[in-house]
Amino acid sequence: MAWTWFHRLASPPHVYALATRLTPWVAWPAAVLILAGLYGGLVLAPPDYQQGDGFRIIYVHASSGWMSLMVYVTMATSAAVGLIWRMKIAHAVAASCAPIGASFTLAALVTGSLWGRPMWGTYWEWDPRLTSELILLFLYLGYMALRSAIDEVHRADRASALLAVVGVVNVPIIHYSVLWWNSLHQAPSVMKLAKPEMPPAMLLPLLLMLAGFTLFFLSLLLVRLRGEILRRERSASWIREALAG
Amino acid sequence: MNEFFHMGGYARFVWPAYALTLAIVVLNIVWARRALARACEEARRRVPIRGARP
Repeated sequence: MAWTWFHRLASPPHVYALATRLTPWVAWPAAVLILAGLYGGLVLAPPDYQQGDGFRIIYVHASSGWMSLMVYVTMATSAAVGLIWRMKIAHAVAASCAPIGASFTLAALVTGSLWGRPMWGTYWEWDPRLTSELILLFLYLGYMALRSAIDEVHRADRASALLAVVGVVNVPIIHYSVLWWNSLHQAPSVMKLAKPEMPPAMLLPLLLMLAGFTLFFLSLLLVRLRGEILRRERSASWIREALAG
Repeated sequence: MNEFFHMGGYARFVWPAYALTLAIVVLNIVWARRALARACEEARRRVPIRGARP
């Protein structure tokens, strides 16, 4: 009935097969969107009237920053679902998210600091936005360290899920830090679709990059998820079929 | 073309930012595929081969 699709999402063989089939349909559009965004951002967009060509860092910086938060919310949500409904697949999704999120948080921090040097005159400042984003990196690293410290995968799932859920408190702090505190970091200029502060030639490539990175995350997640499902299925007969196929 | 690579004087900030992001994108693809391959390998070792056990 109406809930069949939800129950099927709890079935490892079904999700494994679905992930295998979906991956190319997500990965190729991601590549096309990112390449289009890069061309628009590096070539077509005009230089900024204040920041010149330095503003072009936004296309990789904002995309990485968006990844760092979106991946964390995905991770914490699936961890919560895994804790509440004891769903193995949800834990597998959460575990797949962490390395992806950690690497893009690092990218957001470093690209931001490369932007900060010419624009603010410093690579690093203990500013609310920068500090809370650094804490996000530590949350990801702590999550991964906790998982690798526990050998039994189901116990690792539960312990790390708690950390992921508690750490979600940092997400609104990062997002609103530029509004709550007097921050060096500029206020959001994209997530105001009613009255965007960028001309279309600058904004459109950024939206393409954000969409492309989102699909890229999804394709990485689908590949990693298959591995995590295999790790959680002990001697199930379908593993033979999955490995044979 | 030279002008493009010069990035209006911001080349030494713009290109490292793009290079790092590209590296992280490529590494993520490599890591994800390697993690899947490793899990397949482990599963193969764990699951008895058809016919080997009752």
